[in-house]
Parts: sequence; C-alpha cells; structure tokens
Amino acid sequence: MTGSITNREKFLNQISSQLGRQPITGKVERPVWRFQPQKEVLKNASQDELLTILKDQCLNIHTSLYITDKNNLSAVLKNEIEAYGGSVLAGKDNRFKEWGLDFLLNSEIEFEEWDYTQGRENILRAERAGIGLVVSELTLAESGTIVLYADKDKGRMVSFLPENLIALIPKSSLVPRMTQAAEQMRSEHLKGNQVSSCVQFITGPSNSADIELNLVVGVHGPVRATYIVINDL
Amino acid sequence: MKVALFATCLVDLFQSNVGKATVELLEHLGCEVEFPESQVCCGQPAYNSGYLKESKEAMKRMIETFLDAEYIVSPSGSCIAMFREYPHIFKGDPEWEPKAIKVAEKSFELTEFIVDVLKVEDVGAAFDASVTYHTSCHMTRLLGVRKAPMVLLKNVKGLRFTELPGKEQCCGFGGTFSVKMAQISEQMVDEKVCHIEETEAEYLIGADAGCLMNIGGRIQRKGKPIKVLHIAEILNSR
Amino acid sequence: MPMKIGSNDFKDRVEEGINDSFMRKAVAGAQERMGSRRQDAADQLGNWEDWRSHGEEIRQHVLEHLDYYLKELSDNIASRGGHVFFAQTPAEANEYIKNVVESKGAKKVVKSKSMVTEEINLNSYLEEAGCEVTETDLGEYILQVDDHDPPSHIVVPALHKNKEQIRDVFTEKLGYQKTEKPEELAAHARAVLRQKFLEADIGITGCNFAVAETGSFCLVTNEGNADLVTALPKTQITVMGMERIVPTFVELEVLVSLLTRSAVGQKLTSYITVLTGPREQNEADGPEEFHLVIVDNGRSNILGSEFQSILQCIRCGACINACPVYRHIGGHSYGSIYSGPIGAVLTPLLGGYEENKELPYASTLCGACTEVCPVKIPLHGLLLKHREQIVEKEGKAPISEKLAMKAFGLGAASPFLYKLGTKMAPTAMNPFVSGNTISKGPGPLKAWTEIREFPAPHKERFRDWFKNREKDGDA
Repeated sequence: MTGSITNREKFLNQISSQLGRQPITGKVERPVWRFQPQKEVLKNASQDELLTILKDQCLNIHTSLYITDKNNLSAVLKNEIEAYGGSVLAGKDNRFKEWGLDFLLNSEIEFEEWDYTQGRENILRAERAGIGLVVSELTLAESGTIVLYADKDKGRMVSFLPENLIALIPKSSLVPRMTQAAEQMRSEHLKGNQVSSCVQFITGPSNSADIELNLVVGVHGPVRATYIVINDL
Repeated sequence: MKVALFATCLVDLFQSNVGKATVELLEHLGCEVEFPESQVCCGQPAYNSGYLKESKEAMKRMIETFLDAEYIVSPSGSCIAMFREYPHIFKGDPEWEPKAIKVAEKSFELTEFIVDVLKVEDVGAAFDASVTYHTSCHMTRLLGVRKAPMVLLKNVKGLRFTELPGKEQCCGFGGTFSVKMAQISEQMVDEKVCHIEETEAEYLIGADAGCLMNIGGRIQRKGKPIKVLHIAEILNSR
Repeated sequence: MPMKIGSNDFKDRVEEGINDSFMRKAVAGAQERMGSRRQDAADQLGNWEDWRSHGEEIRQHVLEHLDYYLKELSDNIASRGGHVFFAQTPAEANEYIKNVVESKGAKKVVKSKSMVTEEINLNSYLEEAGCEVTETDLGEYILQVDDHDPPSHIVVPALHKNKEQIRDVFTEKLGYQKTEKPEELAAHARAVLRQKFLEADIGITGCNFAVAETGSFCLVTNEGNADLVTALPKTQITVMGMERIVPTFVELEVLVSLLTRSAVGQKLTSYITVLTGPREQNEADGPEEFHLVIVDNGRSNILGSEFQSILQCIRCGACINACPVYRHIGGHSYGSIYSGPIGAVLTPLLGGYEENKELPYASTLCGACTEVCPVKIPLHGLLLKHREQIVEKEGKAPISEKLAMKAFGLGAASPFLYKLGTKMAPTAMNPFVSGNTISKGPGPLKAWTEIREFPAPHKERFRDWFKNREKDGDA
C-alpha cells in the first residue's frame, strides 16, 4: 500500500526559491566527503581485540558480560535465567536449536516464543515475562551495542517490556562501531532488500538522568542487562 | 627586528604602565619598537555592538597605519583577534581585502610573538610572588593562543603559579555586555573573583586589559587584597 | 508565539533566574559534569576536529539540497505505506494531527520528547480537542505533571527542579507516597507511564534525523520511551523540523555519534531506534498507520540568509552546557523553549526581533559555544550578525547608543579626533575621580560603576609617554 503525500510542491518550492535556485529535477549525488574519521576508529582490530573492547565498555553501561563457547552456552544461559527469575520470552529463532539450547524448547523452564498469529497477546506476554531473550545480529564493540532487526517472528517489545534483558552475542557479529552497521544496512538496501521496519541499537539497560542528573538505571525498558558472547569462530 | 606597537585604547588611556612594560620588554629582547601615532581603535566596540559601518572606518585607519610594518605586536589578545578578523570583514572588497590580509598575517599578541616569532621562552624575568592566571576568551578561543603565556610564566624566577579553577570561563566583560547586561555580568565576574580567591594567590595576571579592568574593578569594589597585573608587567620585572 | 515562555520582560526573567539559587547551583553542576563528559568523549576519538568538520560538511550539503532530500524522503515513506504531510505553519501541522487523531476516534496520546511539537504548541491544541496527552520522557513528564512548567534545557528539560520539588509535585498530583530518592521517583513514573503506554491510541514522536534514501527516521533516547511510543499505539505520528534529515544511513551514523557524544558524553545512548514506515504485514507490534509531519514554521526564511548555518543544529545542547551566561540565568530567562546560545540565535529568527531583541546581546561573545558545537555553527558570529541586523536593518538600537557609535565612527576614523578625545578624557572625567578610580560614573559608565570600580584615565597617556621618551633620547 502506498501512502499519501500532501502539500509537497508548494513547500519544496518555497525552499528552492529561498535557496535562490530552481527546484532540483535530476539526481543529486552525495559528494565525496572531505572527512571520514569514522572509518579510522578501531580499523584493523581483530575479533579478539574487539571482544576486549566490548568487555571494557560493558563496565560503563551497567551490563554483565559472559564469554562462553557453544558447549557451555546452555549452562551459562540457564544460570543467568535462574538468577534473574521469571519466565522467558524470545523471538522465534532457529539458532536456539543450532546452539543446543534444548532446555528452552523442552519447556524445562517457562519459555514463550513471539507468535505473530497471536497479535496483541504478544505484548501482554512480554509484559508478564521476567526476561527478554534476544540474539544480536551485529554487535558494536566501541559502544557495547547490540543490533536487532524486527520482523514478524522477532517483535520489537521482546527486548523491551520484560524487566531483564539477555542478549546472545555470536563473536562473529562483533564489528568496530556503528559505522559498519550503517554500511551494512545501506548495502542491503541497495541490493534491494527492504530495511526492517524497526532496527534497534540497544546499549545496556534503560536509564535516565533527568532528576538532578542522578543516573537511574531502568526507567521505561529493562532494569538489568546481560550479554553472553558465544565463541562461534 | 622592527616592531610596530599597537597599544590599544585601554592601554593608551588607562593602563599606560602596560604599554611601557611592553615597550621595555620588547626592547630587552632586542626589538626596535615604534609607535605609529596615527593608530586609533581596532573597531571592536562598534563591531561587536552591530555597528559594522562605523567600525569599518576605524578598521581602515588601522590597516593604513600598520600596512607597512614588519611586525605588529599588541599586549591584547582580543584586539589582535580583531585584526585577524579584518580579512573576513573586508572579504570581497578589492581595495581593502588584500591590505587586511597583509595586516592580519603579521599581527601578533605579545606572548605569542615572543614565543612563536622571537623563539624565546625565558625572558629573564623574576617575580617573587604567588600568582594565578585568567585566560581571556578571545585570546584562547578566537586567537588560539593558549600555551605561550604559560611557557613564559613558568620561566619567571620566584613566581609561584596556581591554576585558576574554571580558567577558561568568561569573566563577564564582553565589552558593552558589561554595561548592557550589567546584572548578568555581575554574576559572572563574582564567580571569577571567587575562583581567584580560592587559589589564594597574591596576584591575578591576565593578557587583556579589558578583562583585567573588569575583574580588577570588581576586586577593588569588594575590597579584596588581590593585586592585578598584566602579563607584560610580570615579564618586564627583574 | 507558541515557543514563548515566562514573563514579557527580559530583565525581569533574568532577575528571577539570578535569584533562583537552587537552579543556579544545578545548572553550574550540570555544566561541569556534562561539559567534562563531552570533552572526554570528544578526546577519546583523538581527531574530534575531523569529526566536527565531517558533521559540518554533511549538514551543509543537506541544507543546500534540502528540497531534493525532502522529496526523496517523502517518496520513500509513501512507498512503504506511510503518509507525509508538509506543514508550512504550526496551524497546518496541528490541524492535520488533530484530524488524524479525530479520524481514529482517539482520546489517549503518548508522546516522546520533541522540541518541534513544543514549538508548535501541539499539546495544548490536542488537549483543547479533548485528548489526554502524556509526555513520557521522565523530565518532560515531571514538567507536565507540574502544571506544564516550561523546559529549561533542550536535553535535560527539568534541570531547574530539585528532587524535593519533584517529590512534592508527585505527591500532590499523583498521590505519590515515597521519598525524594530519584530511583523511587523514577520507579513511580515507570509504573504510571507503563499503563499509559498500554492504553494509548496514538503515539507522537519528534525526529532526531530522517534518512532520505530509505524513508527512515531515527530516535535517540536513554530511557527507551520512544520505543514504547512507536511500538504500542496503533497509530504513530512523527513530527520533524524540516532540516533534520540526512542522505543515507552512512551520514546518519556520523551525526548520531556527534549527537550522543556532544549531548551526554556517551558513545551511543541506550536506545537508538531506526524506524521505517508502519509495521509490516504479520508484525504484531509497531504502528498500523504512520504519519510524518514535516514542519517549516519559519525555517525556510533562514535558508539562503546569512543565518543559514543555524539550521545545521542537531539539538545536542553542548552550547548550552558551555555558555557562561546560561550558567547564571538559566533556561527560562531566554523566554523561549530554546535557551542558551542556540536559543539566542534561533528564537529571534523564528519569533522575530520585536519580542526577542535582547537575546543577541545576552552573550559576551566569548566563543565557548562555537568551540563545542559538533557541526561547527559559528554561534557567536551569528549573535553578532543579529546585532548588525538590529542596528542596521531593524533600526531597533537605542538612540543614545546610535549617537555614541556614530561619534565612535567619526572619532576612530580620524586619528586627530581620536587623539583629541583621548587627551580630553582625564579632564572630562575629573569630577568623578577619587584617588585613581571612579566609583560613580556618568552616562554609560554608571552601569559599570554600579558593580565595579572604573580606572581614572592616566594624566599622561601612553602615547605621550612614548613621544616624550623619544624626545628625551631614552629609546
């Protein structure tokens, strides 16, 4: 379905006339930028170096970090789920099976998957869940940020409404910073792959400093966050 | 080395001691100092108040006065910053832009001139007292001169230096701001004086007569025992 | 003018600000903390000046081609099923939004922080139409609960309030029964607002940056309230100032980095969310309907003028945190929702000189704002340009000042008159001198000497000393 556009011509003509020229009809190419400092940050860093940076950054963003391999992932995750308590909500994700997280799927714990056929019921489930479990598609080492692309099986609110957030981070998903995520999003778009309706860059738990600049961790979103890095390389 | 001294209005009228110290200091460092008699004001008071037309008259006189000088030196970061602004102000003016560039390129604030042009870091001064230093906004931000005064002060014998808390914060002078926005200016200069007191220094030093007149005037009004000197006077003490 | 706040008289507002000792302490502390965090975040990168230059070139390019990028943006939003409305005036924007709300039969609106909706006064408009509008950014919420107290800072809107005041407001208006601890206050707000989110029919957001190439837009928060506003209600309306746009994701990323580092000294904030169109088929959250309202409200008049660079602004507030004038008078003194240096430049442009003629003079031109601006807006230079406008085009300067400056022009232009003037100064000032200072000056000196001593002119001017010295063969 195509949406509507209202009042555009007059509005844009006012702009071009203020700029002292005719409206632009052809294509504007972006200039070759004179400065591109973002590409220099953590250039050539190895995955191990990026992991070290992520680890340090987690101290700044009130987030616990565990590093494990596929064999021990189950145990580490189970521990963390038990420590937080409450039921777990996650997107539908084949990787859980791939990574041997059978305890989730075998209902050893209270575990629910996002199910779009249930519509708004998902929101209520998310509200009730104690833990939101997500898999980071890209992980920005510099800022300690996970990147999530919403789709029908991965609702936006999985990462948000439950009081605790656990993110599984494949080590292979580590990149230096947001620069690489932006480039990847753009190149997917140029290939004709539609960008997700909602891309979330999440850095630790929700927080606010609006009262006398005192940091309060956990305002609208999760109060606590844990990252579990999986050595998949 | 021939130096044309741009004394500035405030020094000419109210701070002749700063002018004298500047002349003696430069001569001590081997410069031949001249004072072009036709110099007026750099135009800043009118320019900063929005009176471009009026200020340009003053600027043109200054450009003519200093056009043929080898070096132009002034004991004021703010007034030299104004000189460096001339090329922008006369941009596109076929007659005045080239002249403005010429003047701007050879204009130096006193400490900048000593350190960057004369390549001297120790002027052989001695001053036995505790001091703190206010970095003037135009000198640091517009002119970018931050290190030169520090280097020179560090080498003054006997001088005990304490850094001023919030040193880069404006003192509230701002030319006509000090009278137009007097109620705000008062708060700003009061905070500055508090910071100076915290250092327990005997002397406040600065490199711009305007700021010093503002801070010094407030110190005097409040009856504080802190003395105020221009950096030229310190560097000329031996 | 909707963005106007507080009493009419600038001096009264300043007086009030100066006498508010809690606010001043809070502002000074905030400036130091946020200022040093910003500095650290900039220093970490090691080439901050390149970052600033890149930010500047992106913003300049966008402004020069703004019509092109807005067209691209709107086409791409429409192709993803979103609706785009171009509003030249606040009335057009408000009317459109009201119509959307009414067509949905909606009564409950949740909002995430947006300066442009403050600018067009959207909340009152919707409230008059019978809606309940809830601000969900904690700071904005506090102000709203406190009978719509205006924001005093574009990033930390309730900076002027202390926790005891907030506790009292919550107690009175929300039946809050706990202490003034920020954690408890925030937890209470969380619980109240969570319910509001779940019940809301409409979500309204601002827009940090729109991305032309994909028809996306980006919201930057630490609380994550914007994520709830855009995920739960069935209808979403996003309002953006028309200049808040970038060509592609690549430039978006750079400006987001500049924004978070400059605003709060963070590498990235906790939530940066990039949204494109309404929810896709089969998605269970996100809006079913998406509207973007692009607002001009005087911005296009700035394009092509000597003030164009102010539209480079990304609303980080770094200039506010660096401003020594803001430090002492606080945000409300500016009489506008935009305070500090950005406010002093922008408010007269959007709201006219008549009601804002003092703002360009509320600066010492110290340049601290220009130095920290992440997109290199020459803020203090623009204040100077305002002064030129006021003097030369608007003719709004006081007559006494005009005469004095005229005399300055004549005097300074003529070395003879200048010398004569300075020679006469000591004699002219004589009646006011006691010792070597003037404590009660005449005319313009009066305002000076109410606060500080003024030095008496030296009997021997420097130039006389120099001349005599040459004569004496002392040189």
